[in-house]
Amino acid sequence: MSMLDTLLLISLLTVLLTGLGQRVTFIGWIATLLLTAQLLTLLLMGKLGYGGEIIDASFGFSILGQPLNWRYDALSWFFALITIGSALAGSAFAAGAWGDQYRKEGGNPGLLQFSIALNVLAMLLLLGSGDLLSLFIGWELVSWASLLLMVIAGGRASEFGMRYIVYATAGAMAVLAGLAIIFQLTGSFAYDDLAAVAPALNTLQIVTLTLLFFFGFGIKMGLLPFHLWQADAYAETPGPGTAFLGAISSRMGLYAILVVIIQLIGLVRLIEIEIPYSFLSLRDLLMWVAAISIIIPTFIALRQSDARRLLAWHGIGQGGYMLIGLLVLDPYGSAGGLMHVFNHATYQAALFLSVSAVIYRTRTSDLNRLGGLVTRMPLSFLVMLIGIIGLAGIPPMNGFVSKWLVYRSLIIEGMPLLFVASVIGTLGTILSVYKLIHNTFLGQLRLEHEHIREVPLSMTIPMLVLSAIVFITGFMPGLVLDWVGSAQVALGMPQLAHTLGGVESTQGSLDMIWVCSVLFGGFAVGALLFYSGNKAKRVHQLDNYAGGHFLTADVRYHYSDNFYAGLMHHIGSWYRGSFLWLESSLISVVSSLSGGAQLLYNSFHPALYLLMAITLSLYFFIG
Amino acid sequence: MNNIAFNIALPLLAAFLLPVIHNGSAKASRLVGPFVLLAMCWFAAAYFIFIEHPVALALGGFLPPLGISFHLDQLSLLMAVIIPLMLLLLWPYTNREGFREEALLLLLAGASSGMALSGDLFNIYVFYELLSVASFGLAASTHNGAAFAATFRYLVISGLGTVLALTGIGLIYTQTGTLNLAHIGQLAAQLDNNVGLAAFALIVLGIGVKAEIFPVNGWVPEVYATAKPRISALLAGLISKLAVLAIVRLLVVAYADTDALSLLLVLGILGIIWGELSAWRAKDLKRMFAFSSIGQLGMVLVAFSIPGEAGMFAGLAMMLHHLLVKPALFMLTENWSGSISSLTGAARQSPLGAALFILFALSLIGVPPFPGFWAKLIMVTGLVGADDSLYLLALGILLTATVIEANYLIRCAIQLYAPADENSSQSAKHGRLTLSISSALGVVLIISLFSITPLGNKLYQIAAEASNRSLYINTTLSNAQVPALRKIQ
Repeated sequence: MSMLDTLLLISLLTVLLTGLGQRVTFIGWIATLLLTAQLLTLLLMGKLGYGGEIIDASFGFSILGQPLNWRYDALSWFFALITIGSALAGSAFAAGAWGDQYRKEGGNPGLLQFSIALNVLAMLLLLGSGDLLSLFIGWELVSWASLLLMVIAGGRASEFGMRYIVYATAGAMAVLAGLAIIFQLTGSFAYDDLAAVAPALNTLQIVTLTLLFFFGFGIKMGLLPFHLWQADAYAETPGPGTAFLGAISSRMGLYAILVVIIQLIGLVRLIEIEIPYSFLSLRDLLMWVAAISIIIPTFIALRQSDARRLLAWHGIGQGGYMLIGLLVLDPYGSAGGLMHVFNHATYQAALFLSVSAVIYRTRTSDLNRLGGLVTRMPLSFLVMLIGIIGLAGIPPMNGFVSKWLVYRSLIIEGMPLLFVASVIGTLGTILSVYKLIHNTFLGQLRLEHEHIREVPLSMTIPMLVLSAIVFITGFMPGLVLDWVGSAQVALGMPQLAHTLGGVESTQGSLDMIWVCSVLFGGFAVGALLFYSGNKAKRVHQLDNYAGGHFLTADVRYHYSDNFYAGLMHHIGSWYRGSFLWLESSLISVVSSLSGGAQLLYNSFHPALYLLMAITLSLYFFIG
Repeated sequence: MNNIAFNIALPLLAAFLLPVIHNGSAKASRLVGPFVLLAMCWFAAAYFIFIEHPVALALGGFLPPLGISFHLDQLSLLMAVIIPLMLLLLWPYTNREGFREEALLLLLAGASSGMALSGDLFNIYVFYELLSVASFGLAASTHNGAAFAATFRYLVISGLGTVLALTGIGLIYTQTGTLNLAHIGQLAAQLDNNVGLAAFALIVLGIGVKAEIFPVNGWVPEVYATAKPRISALLAGLISKLAVLAIVRLLVVAYADTDALSLLLVLGILGIIWGELSAWRAKDLKRMFAFSSIGQLGMVLVAFSIPGEAGMFAGLAMMLHHLLVKPALFMLTENWSGSISSLTGAARQSPLGAALFILFALSLIGVPPFPGFWAKLIMVTGLVGADDSLYLLALGILLTATVIEANYLIRCAIQLYAPADENSSQSAKHGRLTLSISSALGVVLIISLFSITPLGNKLYQIAAEASNRSLYINTTLSNAQVPALRKIQ
């Protein structure tokens, strides 16, 4: 029995135990324990992250003459690490006080743990797929498992889950069509056969396959124009579930794109294919889709007044960075893209958990009904602060390193317009994350939140661990770049030369240890100046004055509603909801078509149809 | 060795004797049906297991093409096994209202076995007529105005269809001078002309009334919405498949290389579009399943229209899957009638029913690893393999239809699990019998999930045999056996 078998067995055990033990009150802790066991097993397979041999599962099936097998390489290991890590964070967060409160409100924490465990199992299977058929099976399992996680909250969440599953099924069907074409071309679903045939395919075949797979897998990433489902569906999931989904779920699309389009079909072929009447190659087209997927969702996030939706929209935008980096196909870009998967998962999970902590205490995530919580929940504030620095891509957190790599590659490879697009996205990110932390933790404290305390230890520990990872991997990005390098090799890409502190190369170097030292040196100087001055006087948060008048707590003097009014005055008219309009008109079309279809059955002329049909068919043959 | 002719003779005899037995002892009459069906199962299964190569049986002492012949290959025997099994499953065990329904079901069993086994076009027609009569009676057995109206509509359109089919058969007879399928196959060249193809079109649309082929399926939604769930399950699951198989037999022996394939393809595509779109908008569960079965039958037809073995394989896979899933879903509509929005919270009242609904819905959509996925995969690869733009169009429509299907089925599933309204007092509990029938089918589905590979191999073997035209012709015309019917009696 190989380590991979053990991993999958433990994962299956987690699913079974959480499934059977719905009524057990400490089910959350059992799930956490089992997820820890999964993480440890994965770490025992850690050689993979440093260029170890591929680990095969010792089981395999042959169905309808098609072999199905599973194996882990460095890429699968890297993604699996993130999957299990974020699941563990979510599960541990939900296990203690959060779960108790959730149960009191009528929720079922056992079901939540079960859904998380099921998602992990599905994802581990997908990540280990050794051929296209097992990839598709894993893909569908992941899709349907995440539906379960999305709808368990009930109510509006069901609607969003429904919308998600329509998009997901459409994507899956596109993938299925692509698989059928590949089967026709190669006679099997094996990776090797596709890789062998790919260079000989003609342009039409490559374009068809690429678009089918890009469409199919891209839907899960929320790439434009299929982005509408994601934010709502993720945001309505119960807190820790959101953290898990937001951290890793949509990256499964990236993984599949990596394996099928970049590795098997081959990006080089896409670069060769020119799109008629334009200056773009097929690869450029995909990159622009990624770039637009950065900009538009990020600026939609800017408009959100719900903390969870704001973060969920950013999840889509950040996915664009990963894809753009990987499509550049140089060591910098692909390393940046892959590293961003890890970094995004860590800070996004931390951010969602911190928002969940705020919801736990205040019962709301409405950014217009919060504020001033910094002194009440300092640890949650710290977590969110670290998280947003990561999300915005500012040193010293890890998000900066990966984004820097992506920017660097765009510059090196001479893609200035895409670079500008990414920077515009980052601008939107900075603005909106500021809105997030300002409206939640800074500003005026609301009277009803005066007696709020920090969340219990069972919730702060997972958040703090995640924040520590965000900082440490920002301070020493070499830790992650080792794994990323092995994943690059597994993908057949050039490896990025790196050190513990960052990148050491003639094309551009980055040493985060140095950057951080300078930064903290600066902070130290600032602190010295601050504390050497007069002692500041501490006043109560509700003790406020304006123009010499005392402000009572019920006066709202600090605006949070209609945030960025000035900016919105300029760009507000660009938000037209065109995609929403497109979606609803598509639904109307289907609705009226089906109305027409039913008309045929509602009227009482079946005999007439029969005669018409026979006339037409006779005409078909004779006429 | 037992004689397969019993599979037709026995139920018909039992059906006609049932009133007499009922007059003698009502209890005994209730035992007759299940006993006969078990016997049918036994005979057919014995043949199915021990048969090594297709056999043609000539009845009445004349060898084909003159005599009446049965064609026993794995496909027809498989159907001959499934028919009594299905009827046993859907048998009205709790019925205390007399013998009518039992008699009709036995009639149905005999007629459909005859249709599955017969190797002669005219016999197929006769059995089809018999089957129609039985199904009218069953459809109307709810005894209310709506059911009578729906059945009347069914009767009219089915009658017209029969006339068309008979015309088609007549045309074939004028062209070839024979009605034996194998003989027709031998003379297939004479049918590859306008008259021959017109005959095929007439037969397809005529028999297609039962096969729910678009556009002669106007009766479907009303009949399924008003009939008892058991009867809808039977009509949608079993009877429609038998009609499809009759068409496919004719297609294989006589029209495999002609334009007839494209007729089936076009009708199938239209069926998918119309069925799935209508189902998307359906307001109650029974109609939704009725429309969805129109769409599914369209898929089956498209699958059968793929040339060669691949088509037979895909068609059989889709067909058998639907045969398994749809009856189970129809059974669940018992007590889940009325508008879909009134089903809110039904999962709380009938958790097993809701779980089964989800299981079958997922398989119907084709979510791996459920059997429906493998059937769909076989079909999709077959469609791409056909290498023709019309088949690619069919592929696109099939995949789009799957999205629509996922939408309406999952919408229902979510509705079932939504928290119940306070004011919904309607009981959504399932009876024990209903649940056990659906569970039995669910168990079969799960078992087949774990034995996909042997099932797939067997099915491929059956498909290869059934799509082998020369084998069919040779079996009947050179190796027919005259069974010693008298000796057994």
